[in-house]
Amino acid sequence: MNQRITFSTPLLISMPLLLGALLTGCETMQKLVSTPKPQGLNTRVYSANESSNTVTVMDGDTYQVLGEIDTLNYGPHDMALSRDGKQLWVTNLANGRVSVIDTDSRKTIASIYTGTRAHVVALTNNNKHAWVANIADNTISIIDTTIYRILGTIPVSKGPMGIAFSRDGKFAYVSTQDKMVNVIDTAAHQVIKQIPVGPNPHFLILGPDGRIWGTNTGSNDIYVIDPNTQEIAGSIEVGPAPQQIAFALKGTAGPNAYVTVTGLNKVVVVNATSPALSIREQIDVGEGPNGIWANAVGTTVYVGHTKSNNVMVIDTGTSQVSATLPVGKKPIRVVASR
Amino acid sequence: MRYLPGSSTPRHFAFSAHASRIALAAIALSIGLVTAPPTHAAGDAVANAINAVGEFTVFRTDGIQEQLEGKGSLPLYEGDTVKTGTGSQGLLEFSNGIQVALNEDTQFVILSRWEESKGFTRILRLSAGEVWVKTMGGPKPLEIETPVATAAVKQTEFDIKVQPDGQTTLTVVEGIVEFGTAFGTCPIRTSTISYGNRGKKCTKPAPVDVAPNVAWAQGIRQ
Repeated sequence: MNQRITFSTPLLISMPLLLGALLTGCETMQKLVSTPKPQGLNTRVYSANESSNTVTVMDGDTYQVLGEIDTLNYGPHDMALSRDGKQLWVTNLANGRVSVIDTDSRKTIASIYTGTRAHVVALTNNNKHAWVANIADNTISIIDTTIYRILGTIPVSKGPMGIAFSRDGKFAYVSTQDKMVNVIDTAAHQVIKQIPVGPNPHFLILGPDGRIWGTNTGSNDIYVIDPNTQEIAGSIEVGPAPQQIAFALKGTAGPNAYVTVTGLNKVVVVNATSPALSIREQIDVGEGPNGIWANAVGTTVYVGHTKSNNVMVIDTGTSQVSATLPVGKKPIRVVASR
Repeated sequence: MRYLPGSSTPRHFAFSAHASRIALAAIALSIGLVTAPPTHAAGDAVANAINAVGEFTVFRTDGIQEQLEGKGSLPLYEGDTVKTGTGSQGLLEFSNGIQVALNEDTQFVILSRWEESKGFTRILRLSAGEVWVKTMGGPKPLEIETPVATAAVKQTEFDIKVQPDGQTTLTVVEGIVEFGTAFGTCPIRTSTISYGNRGKKCTKPAPVDVAPNVAWAQGIRQ
C-alpha cells in the first residue's frame, strides 16, 4: 500500500516560520559557527606574560610559537583583541598604561596612561572604544580606539576587576572588590545598579546564552547574571580560586563553560545550555591555570599557566592536551582571534 | 634613574636621560637605523613651576610633596600631581613652550601618550578647578582630560574649567580646540564656549566675551 504524505496549504506557508523559530532557538549554537577558513592561516593566540612584560604570539592551528612582543610597559595583565584581529589592547598593571599592539607588524604602536593599576580592558561591541578598569582609582577609562584619546572616566565602586558588555551593548558589567557587579548604562555612562556577588569577584564574560558569566575567586564559585532582570540567575561551586571562563563544545554537547580553577590545577567544565548549572567534567591541566580562550568554532581551548609558564592546547572533543607551548613568565591572560 | 613602580612612564623610556641617549645611539648604529628619539625620558623635567600665589603643592609619584612660594623654579616630572589651594594660583612653563596657569582649588596630573607615528603628546588630567593654557612657538600637541571630556590643541589659547560632577566648560580665546566626549567631538573656535556633560555630546559652540573668563589668569602671568 502506497502511503502519500501531503501538506495542506496553511502548513506549507507556516513551514518557513517554523524553521525560523527553530533557528532562533539555536541562537546559542550559531554563536560558535564561523565561516570556513583556509587551513592554518587564521587563528592567532596571544598570552599576556605579566612577569616578562611581553605578549607571546602563537599559531592556534599549528600550535607553534611565532614570536614575542614587548609591551614597552610593566606587568601586562589583560588583553582585548579587535574583531578584525588587527589591534591587541593590553593593560599593564604595574605602571597603569595600556599598550596598543599592531598584530600585523607585531609591534607596540601606542602607550596610554589610564590609571593606577590598570587591570582589565574590554572593547565595546562596535570596537570604537576600549574600556579600562583601574583598580586603585575606582574608575573606568574610556579610550577612542582610533585616536587613542581618553574621552571620559566613569567612577565605579571599590576595585574594578572585570568588564563585560551585554549582547546589545546597552549595559556594561564591572565586577568590583567590594563584592559587587556594577551595571553601567552605556548611553549615559552612569552606574544604574549594583548586584551583590561573592568575595573577590574577578573575571566577567558574555556567554553564548546572552548572560554574563563571572567568577568569585574568593568563594570558589561562578555565577551568571540575567541581563533582562539584572539579577543573579544561578551559581555553582567549581573549586578553589576559579579564574577565567571560555565557552566551547564537546562533540554534540554544549556550549559548555570551561573554567580555570587555580587551586585544583584543573579546568572545570560546566553545562551552559540549561538555566540550572551543573558540572560535566574536570580536565587535568598544568600548574596555575588562569587565562583561557576557545577557538572560533569551539573545538579547542588554550589555557595559560602562571606557574609553569606555558599555554596548553586542549582538544575539547577528547579533553586531552594536544600541545604545550612555552611562553613568557606568568602568562595570566590568553586571547585568540575570532 | 627616577622610575618607580607607580610611575606612569612607559617602560621603553624609563631610563636616565644619559643612559637612554647612549642606548638609543648604540641601537641606531648597530642596526643601521635611525629612529626618532623620544621627546623626553623619565628623569627629565617636563615643566617648571615658575610662579605661585598662596598654596601651590606638587605631589611626586613616590609620595614626596614640594611647594613653590612666589617666583622661582620647581621642576615637574611625568606623573606629578599639581594642586592649588583656595585663593591660590600657579603658573607652569613646559619645556616645549606651553604655558599653563592654575586657578584656585585646581588639581591635575601630568601625563603623556606615546604613539609610534606621532611621538609623545603631553596630557594634563584635570580633576578639579580651572586652567588657562597658551601654546607658543609653533604647534604643540597638548590635551586636557576631564572626567567627561578631552580638549586637544596644537596652537591656541584657551580656558577650561571642571565642576565636581565633571561638567566641563571650554572657552577658546584664540585658535581652535578639538573638544570631545565619548559621544562626539566639537571643534571650538576663537571667542566661543562649549560645555561637556556626562553621557552627552559637547554643546555647539556659542559666541562669548572671553575676557572675563580668562581675567583671573592675568595676575599670575605677570
